[in-house]
Amino acid sequence: LTTPTQPRGAYVDRPSSGSLADVVDLILDKGLVIDAYVRVSLVGIELLTIDARIVIAGVDTYLRFAEAAKRLDLGRPDTSGLSDLPSGLPETRAISEAAQDPDEPPVPRQREVVADGTTAGESAQDQASLSGSEERDP
Amino acid sequence: VNPSATPETLAPPVEACYVYGIVSRDTTLPDDLRGVGDPAGNARLIPHRRIAALVSNVHTDRPIGTRNDLLGHERVLDRLAAETVVLPMRFGAVLSGPDAVRNELLAPHHDLFATALFEFADSAQFTVKGRYVQDTVLREVLAEQPRLLELREKVRSLPSDASYYDRIRLGELLAQAFAQKRQTDGAQIVDELVRYAIAVSVHEPVTDDGVVDAAFLVEREHFERFERAAEELGKKWAERVRLRLLGPLALYDFVPKE
Repeated sequence: LTTPTQPRGAYVDRPSSGSLADVVDLILDKGLVIDAYVRVSLVGIELLTIDARIVIAGVDTYLRFAEAAKRLDLGRPDTSGLSDLPSGLPETRAISEAAQDPDEPPVPRQREVVADGTTAGESAQDQASLSGSEERDP
Repeated sequence: VNPSATPETLAPPVEACYVYGIVSRDTTLPDDLRGVGDPAGNARLIPHRRIAALVSNVHTDRPIGTRNDLLGHERVLDRLAAETVVLPMRFGAVLSGPDAVRNELLAPHHDLFATALFEFADSAQFTVKGRYVQDTVLREVLAEQPRLLELREKVRSLPSDASYYDRIRLGELLAQAFAQKRQTDGAQIVDELVRYAIAVSVHEPVTDDGVVDAAFLVEREHFERFERAAEELGKKWAERVRLRLLGPLALYDFVPKE
C-alpha cells in the first residue's frame, strides 16, 4: 500500500486506510454479526481483541476541559509580541506545574486496548502516529 | 535436538475459514490480498448462487486479534470496497470450513444478503468524523458566557488543590457548552453532505470534543462529488472543526438486520 496519510485535500484529513483506532471502531462495533446467523459451525477460536473502550465521562472530562480553559491564552487581540511577555512568563510556569501535578495523573481520553499491547485512540494526534506504523504492507 | 519441537508444534494445525464479508458472486479479487492470521492466508471467494463469501484460511491453534489481524481485516474489506459493494462481517467470524460457510451462512441467508448487495449495488460507505479545534471553540464559549470566563479567571488565580471544585464546575459547564454547539454544528455538517448520499447513519461522537461521526452511503458514480463536497465543507469549517474522511469503505453501517 501507500503511505498511511494521503493529503488529497488541504482541509480534510484522508487517512488512506484508517488508523488503528478508526479500524477498531469500524470492525469491532459494526458489520454483520456471525453469531446471529451461524451457530453450528462457529469455531471457538480465541479472540485476543479486548473491547476496552471507555468513554470517560463526568469528573475526568470536566477536569480536562477546565485544564484546557485554564491554560488557554486569551491575550488581548490588540496586543502582540513583546507586550505579552510579562503575563506570558508566569503562565508558562503554571502549565508546567499543572503537567507535573502528582495528584492528578493525566487521564487518557478514550482508550482502545488490543491485547498485544497496542493502545489506540488516546488522542487525534496519536491516531496519526499510529496509522503511520511500520506494519503496513510494503 | 530442537527444544521447540514439542508435540504441539508437530501436530498439524487445523484450518478454518475466516469470513470478512459478503460480495456479489461476480466479484474479481485483486491478486495477493492477504488477510488475518500468522501466516496470513490469501483472501478468496466461496460462491453460492448470486453471492459469495470473502474468506481466508486461518489456523485455529493461534488466537487472532493482534494489531495486524485488525488491520488485515480492514485492508481486505476496503481494498474490495474501492471496487465493489461489500457487506462486512464484524471482526472475528470464523467457521469450520468452506462447507459451513456455504451451508450455514450463505444458503440460509442468501436472499437477505443478495437484496442488500443489489439494492446498494455500486455504492460504498464514507465516514466523516469531526472534532472541534478545541482552543478556538473554548474561546468562543468563554466570549459568549461571561460567567464561565469569570470562573476560569478564578481557577487560574488559585493553586491546583484549592481550585478542585471550581475546576469541576468550570469543566462541567464547558462540556455542556460543547455539547450544545455539537447539536447544531453536527446536524449542519450532516445536512450539507447528505444531499450527496443515498443514506446516512449518524452516531454520537465518542470524544468530548467530537462534533460529528456519520456514515454516508454514496453511489460510486458520485464518489468524487461527495469527496469534493467534504473538502469544501472542511474548508468552510476549518477554523472551528477538523474533519476526517474515511472511505470508500465496506458498508459497515449499512448491513441488513435480520
